[in-house]
This record gives sequence, structure tokens and C-alpha cells, in this order.
Amino acid sequence: MPGFAHLHTVSGFSLRYGASHPERLAERASERGMDALALTDRDTLAGAVRFAKACAGAGVRPLFGVNLAVAAQEAERGERRRTPVRGGAFVDESAPRATFLARDGARGWADLCRLVTAAHAGQGNPLLPWADNRGDGLVVLLGPGSDVGRALAAGRPDRAAELLVPWREVYGDALRLEAVWHGRTGTGDGSLRLAARTVGFAAEQGVRPVLSNAVRYADPGQGPVADVLDAARRLVPIDPRGRLDSGAAWLKDARAMLDVAERVVEAAGYRREAARRLLEQTRATAAECRVDPEGDLGLGSVHFPEAHLVGAGRRTAQRALASRAAAGMLRLGYGGRRAYWERMHHELDIIAHHGFASYFLTVAQVVDDVREMGIRVAARGSGAGSLVNHLLGIAHADPVEHGLLMERFLSKERVVLPDIDIDVESARRLEVYRAIIGRFGGERVATVSMPETYRVRHAIRDVGAALSMDPAEIDRIAKSFPHIRARDARAALEELPELKRLARESRREGGKYGRLWELVEALDALPRGVAMHPCGVLLSDASLLARTPVVPTSGEGLPMSQFDKEDVEDLGLLKLDVLGVRMQSAMAHAVAEVERATGERIDLDAVAPGDPETYRLIRSAETLGCFQIESPGQRDLVGRLQPSTFHDLVVDISLFRPGPVAADMVRPFIEARHGRAPVRYPHPDLEEPLKGTYGVVVFHEQIIDIVARMTGCGRGEADRVRRGLSDPESQGRIRVWFAQQAAAKGYDVETIRRTWEIVEAFGSYGFCKAHAVAFAVPTYQSAWLKAHHPAAFYAGLLTHDPGMYPKRLLLADARRRGVPILPLDVNVSGVAHRIELVSESPEVWGLRLALCDVHGISEAEAKRIADGQPYSSLVDFWERARPSRPLAGRLAQVGALDAFGANRRDLQLHLSELHRGARGGGGGQLPLAGGRQTASAGLPDLTSAERLSAELGVLSMDASRNLMDDHRAFLQELGVVSARRLREARHGETVLVAGAKAATQTPPIRSGKRVIFSTLDDGTGLVDLAFFDDSHDACAHTVFHSWLLLVRGVVQRRGPRSLSVVGSAAWNLADLVEVRRAEGLDGVAARLAGPAGTDGSPAEGDGGPFRARVAGSEGLPAPAGSAARDPMADRTIRMPTGYEMHPWADLRPAGEGAAQGPAAIRKLWHQSPGSAG
Amino acid sequence: MTILCVRFQLPPMYEAALPELLGLLEEFTPVVEALPPDAALADLRGAERYFGRSAVELASVVRVRALARYGVDCAIGAGPGPMLARVALRAARPGVTCAVPEDAVAEFLADRPVAALPGVGAATARTLDEYGLDTLGRVAAAPLSTLQRLIGAKAGRELREKASGIDRGRVVPNAVSRSLTTERAFGIDELDPDRHRRALLSAAEEIGARLRAVEKVCRTLTLTVRYADRSATTRSRTLKEPTAHSAALTGAAYGMYEALGLQRARVRALALRAEGLTPAEEASYQLTFDPVDEKARRIEEVADRARARFGPRAVMPGALAA
Repeated sequence: MPGFAHLHTVSGFSLRYGASHPERLAERASERGMDALALTDRDTLAGAVRFAKACAGAGVRPLFGVNLAVAAQEAERGERRRTPVRGGAFVDESAPRATFLARDGARGWADLCRLVTAAHAGQGNPLLPWADNRGDGLVVLLGPGSDVGRALAAGRPDRAAELLVPWREVYGDALRLEAVWHGRTGTGDGSLRLAARTVGFAAEQGVRPVLSNAVRYADPGQGPVADVLDAARRLVPIDPRGRLDSGAAWLKDARAMLDVAERVVEAAGYRREAARRLLEQTRATAAECRVDPEGDLGLGSVHFPEAHLVGAGRRTAQRALASRAAAGMLRLGYGGRRAYWERMHHELDIIAHHGFASYFLTVAQVVDDVREMGIRVAARGSGAGSLVNHLLGIAHADPVEHGLLMERFLSKERVVLPDIDIDVESARRLEVYRAIIGRFGGERVATVSMPETYRVRHAIRDVGAALSMDPAEIDRIAKSFPHIRARDARAALEELPELKRLARESRREGGKYGRLWELVEALDALPRGVAMHPCGVLLSDASLLARTPVVPTSGEGLPMSQFDKEDVEDLGLLKLDVLGVRMQSAMAHAVAEVERATGERIDLDAVAPGDPETYRLIRSAETLGCFQIESPGQRDLVGRLQPSTFHDLVVDISLFRPGPVAADMVRPFIEARHGRAPVRYPHPDLEEPLKGTYGVVVFHEQIIDIVARMTGCGRGEADRVRRGLSDPESQGRIRVWFAQQAAAKGYDVETIRRTWEIVEAFGSYGFCKAHAVAFAVPTYQSAWLKAHHPAAFYAGLLTHDPGMYPKRLLLADARRRGVPILPLDVNVSGVAHRIELVSESPEVWGLRLALCDVHGISEAEAKRIADGQPYSSLVDFWERARPSRPLAGRLAQVGALDAFGANRRDLQLHLSELHRGARGGGGGQLPLAGGRQTASAGLPDLTSAERLSAELGVLSMDASRNLMDDHRAFLQELGVVSARRLREARHGETVLVAGAKAATQTPPIRSGKRVIFSTLDDGTGLVDLAFFDDSHDACAHTVFHSWLLLVRGVVQRRGPRSLSVVGSAAWNLADLVEVRRAEGLDGVAARLAGPAGTDGSPAEGDGGPFRARVAGSEGLPAPAGSAARDPMADRTIRMPTGYEMHPWADLRPAGEGAAQGPAAIRKLWHQSPGSAG
Repeated sequence: MTILCVRFQLPPMYEAALPELLGLLEEFTPVVEALPPDAALADLRGAERYFGRSAVELASVVRVRALARYGVDCAIGAGPGPMLARVALRAARPGVTCAVPEDAVAEFLADRPVAALPGVGAATARTLDEYGLDTLGRVAAAPLSTLQRLIGAKAGRELREKASGIDRGRVVPNAVSRSLTTERAFGIDELDPDRHRRALLSAAEEIGARLRAVEKVCRTLTLTVRYADRSATTRSRTLKEPTAHSAALTGAAYGMYEALGLQRARVRALALRAEGLTPAEEASYQLTFDPVDEKARRIEEVADRARARFGPRAVMPGALAA
């Protein structure tokens, strides 16, 4: 019996509709003996490329299609419903839908792309206008969801016939009527009667009927998942009494479909044999739809913008490139250097070999345009290794001088598309995109999409909402999870120490959660939305729109291809990564501030290299805010490595990667660098490549060089070999080949063995030097700014918020470095952070806080306030700046209106009266004392704690002083060591530290264990903490879910500037402060006597603190290696290269991000609810 | 030290028991004011002398009797005036009667939150908190003009007096509750308007029946819709004429519900509250020439009698029977 071809199948790319991945569908189709399968997602073709690849793997012929909502031919007038006071309106899904299949090769595919693009062009939900509803290369299926199908369901064959006419006019013979039976009763969608009516109607009208199963999921039993998706899409809970999914919409095999066909034709009044004819029609339709993934979609071929658009004029692109490169040689002063000329010609040969000249010219054109707009731009990635790129002005660093290799980027042996990434200022990224679109035209340029997929938190939220769970409960459960895959939900619940409490609840209340977890895992990795990829831009020739569907992005309205990064590469579309880098914006702002305030013009790209003060700063490891070297790990590494040249920075950046850290390349390097270990080379020939890094292999380029030298195979081939090293299978082959070649070159066995050891151990981990050089440039520039213009540097950082730390930490750093922090003031503050001269001699610049950081301020409001300066009085401010009432209140709270007299609460009262006056139309009389000063109303002023709380609430920063200052007395009672004093602590000393959590990470590390790294800020400096496996049971929950921490730990010293604390117990400091206030020191003692992990919030259960007091009397954290460890060992992820990774490493940990403190902080100060908030 | 404020620990929706409990208080003094749904004020000025015990001692007697006769526990606050007794009640719990010391009223009030005062609702409390006037002591210390600017002339004056411990109120005897409440909860997030309307119909029928049973009419009907996120929407409607007529109440309830235009709101409960209760014989009734109204009232009368005889489910609207 021949297989059945499903013509109507959706995958998870039909957002919140399909429940299976395209790969799964292809796999099942192959298992169930089908030889063709269509993918007809709703409103999108995004799954097409994956589907094509999966089908090729499974041996199934793919058909491509799309299911679109089609506008009615005559506009119908919808009744307007009353706007709901709560909960919002229903999601409108009333538009009829039809399924379009590509029939005629490339033409069909182009038609599909055009239809999808047209459907997304309008406002609101995707809807295909009737005028665009045509195409020669298409087959159209009108199913139960179409206007014709609905008329039939309503028992109106006459109306159906009427509606069929325009479809026939457009599509003629390519029109099909689609019968679907899902075992439902009645006459609606999926009922037997509608299916029978459809078949009968088709016979009557002379249109060919086909049978489909309107597949939503691959396997039987996934109906409940479809229900959850329906609920999530329509934003309503599942109604168990309402219409649920039939459970029949799975990828049925041929036998089951024959049964369906028999029932349908019988119900339609035909003999059973007619079922064969129905299936035959379906098969014939599938046979018509011939689209070849390679030939017709353009998989595997490359399309560059036309040469005349990239400045080649009438010459060929290659000629134009050669002449521009030669011009670059002269411009940069390399004209007299033979090596440069040779390298240039060598590279041009390679480029000509691949025919990539237009690509280089395109990138050069983009970079030129960006530079012309006055936007900072830098190349990153392996492209920096090409001299031609340097000559064209794309890459800043000179590759010959830094020993970068073209072969790492592009060689004759390598056949993949090279990629050049460029970094621009993040704040002006969209401007750059628009400029590119302007240059090449909308028909050649589109951004790339990025599907957002379900991970555990979103899955819990959507399933919980669908199951009518309490929103507060859902929120709590979702937040207690780290950002892991949804399919790991139950495993994580079993294993992660910080989820223990939740796991206990879940077990206790069993049934309540049972279905939740199952459904959460079923949603794993399904797309739930589409966003614009943060950097990819497609550049193509004018045929772009025939090869990819383009939709406008939701926020910016930029054209965006529905395909994601990988799809685009498979389709052979040229992608340029234009990355918005916040640090570039921050530096641009800093430079602009210096120029505005002092008139001094800084050219960052021309800053003198080797500036001693800059390197002194870097060596001090106080590198908060500096590009790439601000993380706790990097600060530690910088402290040990003590860089003093640009090359050291390059090495430092290369070493701080998961690979090198895991392979322990750091220690031998540091030992050798500081002369504590001798530098060794396997053979004198290898001294040259390895000299710069003390005999340790750090860079890809070194591996390429070593292999090329030892085997004489040439660098292009050596790069291929290097790539092969990460695959254990090919590694074996390479080893034999390497030994043979090296022996032939006359190296002895011992040398070969030792060299191979190095190559094998480090080869796959090294870092591309070109990347590192590109990174090190902004690293040096930012450190230079921090050393020479600290105030401007912090102004830039705070304005553009780069990096991993919350703003308040940068502010604390600024305070420590002696930059005066000037409070917000509506008469002085600008929209962005500014610098201000505080004293003439010695010249001290202060940092003036900006209006843009006020919570809830709009750009327009900030601009209006800044433009209207100065203001003479409160009334003047109110009338000219026209702030909203809540905004004005917030400004008063943080002291931005202090200049107008009276205290902050009095100001609030005046403001609300002004507001009332403005609303009432009558000008309210404002009591003024002395004309411009606002009179006092006798209200109590904000206390100092309330001011701090207001600053945290409004600015998310403790602007006037460090928030830990308030707890100083208590911390002294406890004997807590401050960060500054910690520097003198001995190795191995047990200390107590405390502070506000700044960053928490669980990165993958060498031992394959999970380590929680956290950084505390206590006002005097930073304390870096590490919690190892054995303390997780006791500490993990507290560390993730508290904001102020008290930690007991042991000091670890690894160098003069390298110090961390290994935590063994942790408490929520905010709770302890509360206990200290309410119960005195004895209460605190009782709390500390309890086990550290169960400190719990007082809200937990009946008398949490009391229980804790009774429970653990020995005061020790839980013993190491408790129940959670054993299953962990099984789940350890083994990398092919032998290094083990903990399954939960490298996740964003649970709890709120440290940056959003304020919500948690409110309760730190003992005050009435709502005051000053 | 003569006024008691008693809060009976009634399970929700058992306010029908309140009149009986008021009878218990009336054994001590005729001056008893009901504070529905579950509390009452009693003026014991005469009783103290009659029973020869202080108000605080009498409070213990009240509690014992309530427990013994009705099995209902209560918390009691005592004070020189009704306002102070009510403030005291907030600090009391069953077994611990809280009394306001007569000579240190201002000190007693000083540290209490503003919301403790009867008549200071959530909105006023929020306004005052915003300006740092979070305790009654601070309110008393603030200039009168400032308070009046904050919350209005009359309210400001009254607030300041109350905060300073000046209690001008007195206990006004009345018979029974001035409102009736009923609530219909849903087991899941309910979006279906038909089910909402059915719940409203049943609630309005119940309110009507209860009103007619005690021979009262209500002037105002309030609809509260509770949502899954624990928030609520409240709408009130004053009826054309005071009535206890189920059809009129249902009509008003439907009207308020339709005006909300709910679509995706996740409704967990609908509550109806009849307010402004007055005796039925005092109510006016607009006669019409339309016989339908007349018929409906007659049917209702008959149905009431049938229900009285055969139980509450004997006669009900068709929509609820399914």
C-alpha cells in the first residue's frame, strides 16, 4: 500500500499552535512510511530550511507551503465591542484561512515568499489582502477554516458556491477542497459531516477534493499540549468543559488515513472504493508540488550585491578590490615594504579564487558609510587577520605586525562563507541598519530573525496560566528556577539544591503539580515568539524577496527575514554581523562629554600605546567597567598576569575563555611569565611561534603555524587540520598523518610526540588571535579613559549601561576612585550623565546624575526638562517642563527639586496642588515665601533612610551614600571584615563578609562541578565569593534569592592582587537586620544557631524562625555530599575532548537579577508601607 | 471606659447570625449598634452601675456567654468613645480585651498607623503615608491647614480631631444589618459570560429572597468581580426605587455586569451586596399600567410561599435548574 502524503502539517514555528518540531515531523513521517510531507506553518516559512534539512536526513520529500489568513473580498464591517474594564479583549482569530503549497519549483517558492511578505505588510495580525492573493506557482487548499469551509459548516452550500467563484478565477485548476475528520461531532471544524459535505460539494462543483489531517503534532497523545498552546495564544485559560483539542490531529500513517477516507466517502454517500480515489487525488496533488530544496530554495549558492552598488563602477569587483587595496597600501604608508605587497597579492589571489571580491567591497562600503555618519566602528572576528581588510579600512589593527594569519579567516582549502563582524555604537545601531538599507535598497537588505523558544520559566508561566493556577503562585515557581531548558524541569527539581523547598511542596501536593511539569516539559524549545537578531544583516542581490519572506519587526519596522542565522547561511544569503556594542557608545559619550566640558578633543583610536598609567590601573585589577576585563574571573586573572603591554592584554583576553581555563593553560603561562618555571619548546624550530607566550599555546594561529612548520603542508591546509582537532574521530587520523609528515621532514620521534601532545591538548581550545586583538583595542581604550578621564568614563558607562554589573556598583566604584557624585538637580542635570568641574585646583571633575535614570521618565519629558533649564521656582518648573505628576513626585523624592526650597514632602504637597489646580482649570494659589522659595507646609521631611530608599526606588542607585553604611554598626557587632581590610587577610583565615550582591554566575569550570561565583559590594570594595558543591545544600537558595548577604568563608590567596573567599555558610542579611532590630542580639544569635540554609523568610510556614532555632543546634551547615550529589554524577556532560561539564553550569541562576534590587530593598528600612516609594 | 466594640469570629457569609448575637449584647444594655457583617458597639454606661462591674470585666462576661450559648468566640476593644473602642479592637484578640486608658488617649494613639482610625480608608491612608504622616501622632502634630490641603477641609478637621483622641461619636441603637452580601465563587478561572450571568441570577435571587424574608427593601446594589490575581472591580448602582424584588435586582446586576464588558478577564468570584436597607412597609412602589410587573410580583409571592414550605430549591428560574 503506498504511503499517504500529508498536505497540511504545522510545526512549532506556527507560534503557539504547532506542538512538534519540524525535525520530529520529518522523522515520524519517515518511520510511518510516508515518502512526502508538506510543512504548512501558519503565517510563516521560518521552519522551511530546518524542515528541508531534516527531510533530506530522513529520506522524505519535503513540500513547502504556508497557511495564511486571507482577507474577505468585500470589506466586512465588524461590530465594535465595549472595551473591557479588565483583562483585555479576546484575541481576534476570525479571519478565514487557506493553505498555499508551492508547486512549481523556484517560481512556487518565490510566490510563497511574496504571499507571506504581503500578509505581514499590514497592521495587526498577518492578513493576506485579496489583491495579493494570486500566484502561478501555487496550489491552494480550502479547508474547514476557509470561508468556503465555514459556509459549508453553516449548512449553506449556496453561499459556499458563491464564495468559491473568485478562488476559481484566480487559481483555476490549482484549487483543492480539503476534507478533515478529527472525530468530532456536529457540523463544525473536524466533524465527519463537514468532511462529507466538503467531498460532496467538491464533486458537485468539479473541484478536486483532497484528504488531510490538519496535523498539529507528530504523535498521538499530544492533545493536551495543543490545548496549552491554544490557551497561550488566545490568552485565556483552558476551559475543561469547553471545546478541547480532539487528540486526532497527529501525523497518522497511511492505514489510519485510509480508514478516515473510507468513513468520509461513506458519509458523503459514495461507495467505499471511492476512498481510494480520494487518496489518489491527494497523492497526485503532492506529486504536483515539486520544489527542490537545493535548486529552488537556493540552498548552497551565494548571492552578493551587484558590483555597481559597491563602488566598482563598470569594472569587475576583483579589479576594483585590487585597486582599492593598493591605494590603502600607499595611504597607510606600507608602500615601500615588500612583505606587505606580497601578502596583499597572496590574499587577493585567495579572494579571487573564491570570487568573494564583492563581499569585501560590500563590507568596506558599509564601514565607510558608518564612519561617515560619525559612529564608532571596529571590526571583530577572524576578519581582522586579513591585510586586505586592514587596507580597506575595515579592521583597525595591522595584521602583519600582530602576527595574524589570513588562513584563519579564509583560505583556498576552506569553502565556507567567511564572516566579517563589525562593532558599532549600540545606541546608534538602528541608524546603521537604516543607512545600509538606504545604500543597497530595501529589496536587497533585511535583518535576520531569532526565534525565542520556550525555556523553563516561560513554559511554567504559560502552562500555569492555561491551567488556571494562581498568578502569584506561578510567579513564585517560575522565579525560583534558573534559566534552564524546559525539558529539564523535573530533573532540576530533583537535583538543584536551591529548588529543594519547591520540590518538597511539589511532592507534598502531588496531584496539583503533576500535569504542570509534564506540560512544561512538552513545551521545550518550541518557538514562542520571533525577535530581530541583535546583529545579523542580510545583504543580497535584487532577488532577495524571491528567496526569503520578509516581515517588518514589531518595534522598529525594519524589514526582517523570517529565517534565522543558521537558515540564512544554509540559503547562501550573505550575512554581515553589525553588532551594537554598548562600550563603544559609552566611550563615544565619554569623549563627547570631555569635549563639551573642556573643549579637549580626544581621538581614542590614536591614543598613545603603552601608556604607563593605563597599565598601572589594569594591574591594580580595579577594572570595573573596562571592556572584557571587568568580570570577577578576569579581575583575578589580570591580578595574577600583571599585563604591561598590548600583547599581554591580547593574551589575557585569549586565556580567559572556557577552553583555556578548562585545559588549565593559565597556570603554566603565569608561572613561566613570572619566571617561576622555565620556558620550554619541543624543538628550536618552534621557538618563534611560541616565544611570545612562554611556550604555551594560546592562539589558533600558533597551532596553524606549528602544524605548517612541522609538516610543511601550508597554512591553509594547517587551518583545516586545526578545525579537525575538535572531532575525536578525525583527531586519530590527523595524528597518524602528522607523525608521518613530521618524520618525513626529519623530526625525531620524541619531538613529534611532545609537539603532538601540545597540539592535541590545546589545539581545539585556543582562541583566535585576530579576535583577541580586535577585543583588546577597546579594552585598552576603555582602561585609558578610566585612568585619565574617570568622571567622563563613568558618565559614559552609566548612560549606556554596558557590562555585567548593576549601575549602583559602578557608582560605588566611582566614589571609591574619588569621583564626586553630584545629585540629580532639574536645574543642572542633563538627559544623559554629565561631568562638571568641582574644583579648579587640583582639577577635580564630578559626575552629575542624569534625568534618564529616573524611573518611568520618557525621553520627551527628559528632553523637555533639560531644554527648559534653568527654572526659577517650582511653579516655573511645573509650567514649562510639564512633568507628569508621578514623575514630579519622584524628582522631589530624590532631591532634584531641592533648589526650590522647602523640604521634599512639602514639595510633594505643592506639586499635587499644582496638579489639581491644572486639572481644575483654575490657577491654584501657591504660597510662596520670599517670591521664589516655596513655603514650608510643616510636613516631616524624609529621614535619611527614606532618602536612600527613595534613591534606590527611583534611580536604582544609592546616589548619596552606600547603602551598606546604614548597617555598619551591626556589621561591626558581628565582626564582619570589610572588603578593604580583607586585602590584608591571611590565606586560609576564616572570615565573615557582607554586602549587596552584585553579580552571580555558575560558569562551566574545569573540574566539571558546579560552582556559584558571586560578588558582594560593601562600599569599601568588592568581595569575590565562590561556593563549591559541598556548600550548595546549605547556601544555594539564600545566595540566589537574597540581595544582601552575610557570608562565612575561608580566604583564598593566589597572588598579591588575587583573593577570593570560599563560602561555607550564607545568611540573608536583610532578615538578620530585621531580627536585630526586633529581637536584639539574642535573636540574631538564635538565628545563627540554626542551620544556615534554612534561614528562610519569616513568611515561610508557621513560626519559621522558631523552628529554625530548635532544629539545628550544632550550627554547622549540612554535611558535604548529601543526597543531591549522586544523581548529578550521572548527568555530568562529557565534552568530546574529555573535559566534564556540570549539567547545570553556565546558566543564568535563579532569583531576580541583582540589578533589580529596589523591589527587594523596600523592606530593608523600617518604615511605613508606601512612604517615599 | 464605657463603650465596648465586639467583633464576633463568624465564618464568612454567616452574618445572618448577627441579630441573635446582638440580642446577647442587648441583655446588658439597650444601646447597641450593629457594625455588619460581624461586629457591634455597645454603650455600657448604665450597665456598669447596674451590674457593679467595669466595662472590661463585663467584656469577659460577654465573651463567655457568646461561647457558651452560640459557640462563637469574639474579640473586644474598650474605650471612652466608640471611635476609640474600635481602634482598641484592632489591638485586641479573643481573650485579650484591649482598653484605651482614659487619661492617656493621645499616647495610646500616637504610634498607631493612620489606617487604624475608623473612617480612614485605603485611599486616605495612602495619601497620608505618601507625605510621611504614617502614624496618628504625626497627623496630630501636623498643621491643620496642611491636613486640610491634603484631604479636604472637613475630612482634615475631623481626622485631626480623631488623631488627637477627641471622640465625638456616640452609639446609635439600630436593629439589624444595613446590608446583605452573597458571593458566587468559581472553581476555575471563568470567562464564560453565560456562567457569569447565571451566577448573578442566582445571587440576585438569593438576595431578594433574604430581603423579603426579613421584610426589607434595598436602595443600592453593589457588584464586586474578583479576579484570579486577587484584584477586584466594584460597581454600585442606586435602584430606581427601593425594592426587594428579585427581577429588579437581577436587572440591575446584569446592567452593571454588561457595563464592564469583560472578555478575557479571569473571574474567580462574583459578589452582590444589597445596601441601604429600610423596612419594606416604608418603601414606595411606583404603580404602572403594565400588567407584566404585577404578574411577576404575584408569581414571586407564590414562589416564596412554595419555597417556605418545600425548601429553597423548590422553585427557581429555569436557567439555574440545569
